[in-house]
Amino acid sequence: MTGLPRLARWLLHLSRVPPETRTEVSADLLELFEGRRRDHGTLYARWRLYHDIGSLWIQPRRFVSTATPRSTPMLLGDVRGDLRYAARLFARQPIILLLTLIGLSVGLGIATAAFSMMNAAVLRGEGLVDPDRAPGIVRTADRSVSTAWSYREFLQLREGATRMQVEAVLTDGASVRTTSSEADSAGSTPLAFVSGGFFSATGARVIAGRPLTDTDDHGAGPPPIVISFVFWTTKLNRDPNVIGRTIWIGRTAATIVGVAERRFTLPNTRMLWMPLTSYEAVYSVTPEPTPPNVLVSVFGRVLPNVTFAEAEAQLSGAAASIAAEAPLRVRLDPKVGLGRVAASTTLAVTTFVFSVIALVLLLACANVATVLISAAITREREMGVRAALGASRWRIVRQLVTESLALGTIASTIGLVLAHWSIPVFATMLEAPAGADFAPDLNVYLFLALVTLVSGVGAGLAPAWHSRGTDLLTPLKGESARDNRTAPRRLRSLLVMTQAAVSVLLIVLATLFVRATVRAASTDVGFNADGLYAVWPGIDSGPDGVGIKAFWARAIPELQAVPGVAAVTLAEIPPFGDGYKASMTREQPVRVVLLNRTRGEYFEALGLRMLDGRTYTQGEVAAKAPVAVISQSLARAYWPGQSPIGQLLPQVIPLPPTLAAGGKSVVPAPRPTIIGVVSDAITARLHERSTFAVYEPIDPASEIFARLIIRVAPGATGVVQQVTQRLRAIDSHANPVIASVTAGLQREASRPRMCAMLAGMIGGIAIVMCVIGLYGLTASVVSQRTREMGVRVAMGAQPRDLLRLLMWDSLRPVLLGLAIGVAAALVASRLVLAIMFFGVSPHDPIAFIAAMLLLIAAATLAVVLPTRRAAATDAALVLRDS
Amino acid sequence: MKGEHLGEFEEFTLLAVRALGDNTYAVPVQQYVEKATARTISIGSIYAALGRLEAKGFLRSSMSEAVAQRGGKSKRVYTVTPTGLRTARDLHRVRERIWNAITEGGRS
Repeated sequence: MTGLPRLARWLLHLSRVPPETRTEVSADLLELFEGRRRDHGTLYARWRLYHDIGSLWIQPRRFVSTATPRSTPMLLGDVRGDLRYAARLFARQPIILLLTLIGLSVGLGIATAAFSMMNAAVLRGEGLVDPDRAPGIVRTADRSVSTAWSYREFLQLREGATRMQVEAVLTDGASVRTTSSEADSAGSTPLAFVSGGFFSATGARVIAGRPLTDTDDHGAGPPPIVISFVFWTTKLNRDPNVIGRTIWIGRTAATIVGVAERRFTLPNTRMLWMPLTSYEAVYSVTPEPTPPNVLVSVFGRVLPNVTFAEAEAQLSGAAASIAAEAPLRVRLDPKVGLGRVAASTTLAVTTFVFSVIALVLLLACANVATVLISAAITREREMGVRAALGASRWRIVRQLVTESLALGTIASTIGLVLAHWSIPVFATMLEAPAGADFAPDLNVYLFLALVTLVSGVGAGLAPAWHSRGTDLLTPLKGESARDNRTAPRRLRSLLVMTQAAVSVLLIVLATLFVRATVRAASTDVGFNADGLYAVWPGIDSGPDGVGIKAFWARAIPELQAVPGVAAVTLAEIPPFGDGYKASMTREQPVRVVLLNRTRGEYFEALGLRMLDGRTYTQGEVAAKAPVAVISQSLARAYWPGQSPIGQLLPQVIPLPPTLAAGGKSVVPAPRPTIIGVVSDAITARLHERSTFAVYEPIDPASEIFARLIIRVAPGATGVVQQVTQRLRAIDSHANPVIASVTAGLQREASRPRMCAMLAGMIGGIAIVMCVIGLYGLTASVVSQRTREMGVRVAMGAQPRDLLRLLMWDSLRPVLLGLAIGVAAALVASRLVLAIMFFGVSPHDPIAFIAAMLLLIAAATLAVVLPTRRAAATDAALVLRDS
Repeated sequence: MKGEHLGEFEEFTLLAVRALGDNTYAVPVQQYVEKATARTISIGSIYAALGRLEAKGFLRSSMSEAVAQRGGKSKRVYTVTPTGLRTARDLHRVRERIWNAITEGGRS
């Protein structure tokens, strides 16, 4: 009996007939075909045959099956069987299960933690509804561009605007107490003073109570306050009776009127919102709502059906009535609206975090695939039995994928727990703001599910890919079919190479971070930080800061009289304090110039040498004269080889606008004349070693925000206590906070240490995982080559030769990976991280050599153990066995 | 029960299985229906009809022993269930009644 024509068989194979009924169908077809050929001739029979096959192609699959239809529960039953089988298998090989689980869960945990932080920082936003319709209102006058307006100007803008809602916000921080008896906390809680329509303009909702409204701008009594979800959870323990509760902002009692919805932290991870009109009440003794004398950031919500151009035109009209020295133009710019992180920052953060995620996941997947492949090598016989019993290749692949997906699910659960634990650690390391909410949301869970699926299927497919093209039945005959095929070996090498490369990359980065920390700690900042203290008085400033000015006026001479105090001065920004003020030059490449306002004695107090010219006089300080002292390197950069004294500060260095006298309007800062050059000092952003600085006389109005800088003479003891006592004596309400500049410097220097710990931790895990994978792989590959070894020994090979051969075979991919990893580290450290490694060459040879040695040592150890065993093969024994 | 309705082609298939004396399989059914209707019937439509009839509970199937004639391959054989038979009879009776009405009404 002849069979069906080859074409018919092939077409039948491609049809929708399920595999299990295919033989039956083909028998039917053959019977029909032969009967017709007998009765009507070959041509007719063939025509009917293809007609029949065509009918099989178009019939719905369900009915093509002549066997019992394959229902969904059955498929599920199969999966259950797969899972049961996987469980039994893993129970037999607990080491493999454990290794795979550790690798995957660490990888998934780190990836999830990194993703949820990025999710909170970048993807989720701060809760601004429809940000494209909520632009920042930018003033353009002369050359200055900013969203800063005085409060009065803001009121004028708001009055003139009918096509958009105009709102203002002032970000601030305050010490907050939740009970009247609680001690003042040292840290400040992020707070925003907002105009009445802030909540309606941003689209924020509350989950309890009510948002702030326009009526709150005029209400009497304790100022109302809206708290963030995070504040409610962390500080008030989700108090159900929170509405109406009183908390203290500084010394002012405020009544909680609402709790903002969970994701709302605008602008910049705020935790509290109060009316702008209560600003004076918080900072002075005036209990009544008053228009504050401050600069506010103004944004708007363009009403529906109004174009930006229309709204802009109307606002320009309103702005025209504002008396200003330069003609004022208004621009609406969604890019500088509320809560918009600068695009470049976002991009950098995203790129960095995603590279970390990708690296770690790549590592975990490669590791799991390696372990599964070495397991698969030992499972060849099992697969052969399955194939012999009629399992299709697809069925076997499904078994493998089910196994790795089951592993992936367990690992992702563990990973989620790991992520939960590690997020606070990461947050501390990256100095995340206190108000940020990192709790995972739907995005995070979706991410985790997707990653689990991809890595699970990927890791499960690797062994399947590895065994492609093999005759599944050969292992049953007791021999290995694998020896002569290069493709699987190439896949194994690729996996080992990947792991080696990633480990080296991470270790190199970690070493660079560590060395950067060491270098930063020994950086010469240009002044002696020991014995330098910054003092914040902690008193109510009074209307227009009268109280605080009076306080300074008394404190400075009194402190100078304290024995052991070498110098006392005022500066707007103390060295290595909480923040800094910088100006980005309008040129390429951009330079960062630190700005500060100080008294004339500042340079002497810090110990900076006056290299040229003079410092500002008391008269210049009092008169707010437009003069400036610049740092030596700035002078060299803009006036190479000549004296800058008497020159105007270059226009490429923008200065922030200032509030005109009376606080009625904002004016561009006048260009100061340079009167002195001082030696370089690094006072902020230690790792950038930015020595460009412009110092201007502190203007009496800014004194309320100033810090007192005290230089304690070397060897003097107990000075800090005495200073505290003196300040308390001047004002009994004073609550002075004295911060050591040395401590600030150390905090700043240790910043890369956190990154070093992070990268080092992951790098260490990477190496351990790589070594484990390598060990398992070498062991199974070597055991496969026992026969070959036996033949070699029989031919006269010495154990030493075998050892060399096997070692070289196993270590080659590691060395290749090493080379790739080093190349990647060269590129990465130069491109991405160079900015963080000031003082350390990105091609630091010590870092590279250390990383390579570490990996080579570990890999050799992983390879040498199984290899020695194989090299000690007794030829006679092996050959007799086969 | 998955539905009582019996289509024309399903009816032919069901009756063919019955006519072939039960325990028959797809090939004889195809040949029978093709001969009886004088239409070209594809094996695919026979499979489909058999599958549908089985799903509706009008047919019952089982695997037969291997037959030498088919190269040792076993085949799926069908038997009409009592439900199937009753449904076919009902259908036939409905037809008869309508035909009777037509003849009694004098228009044929």
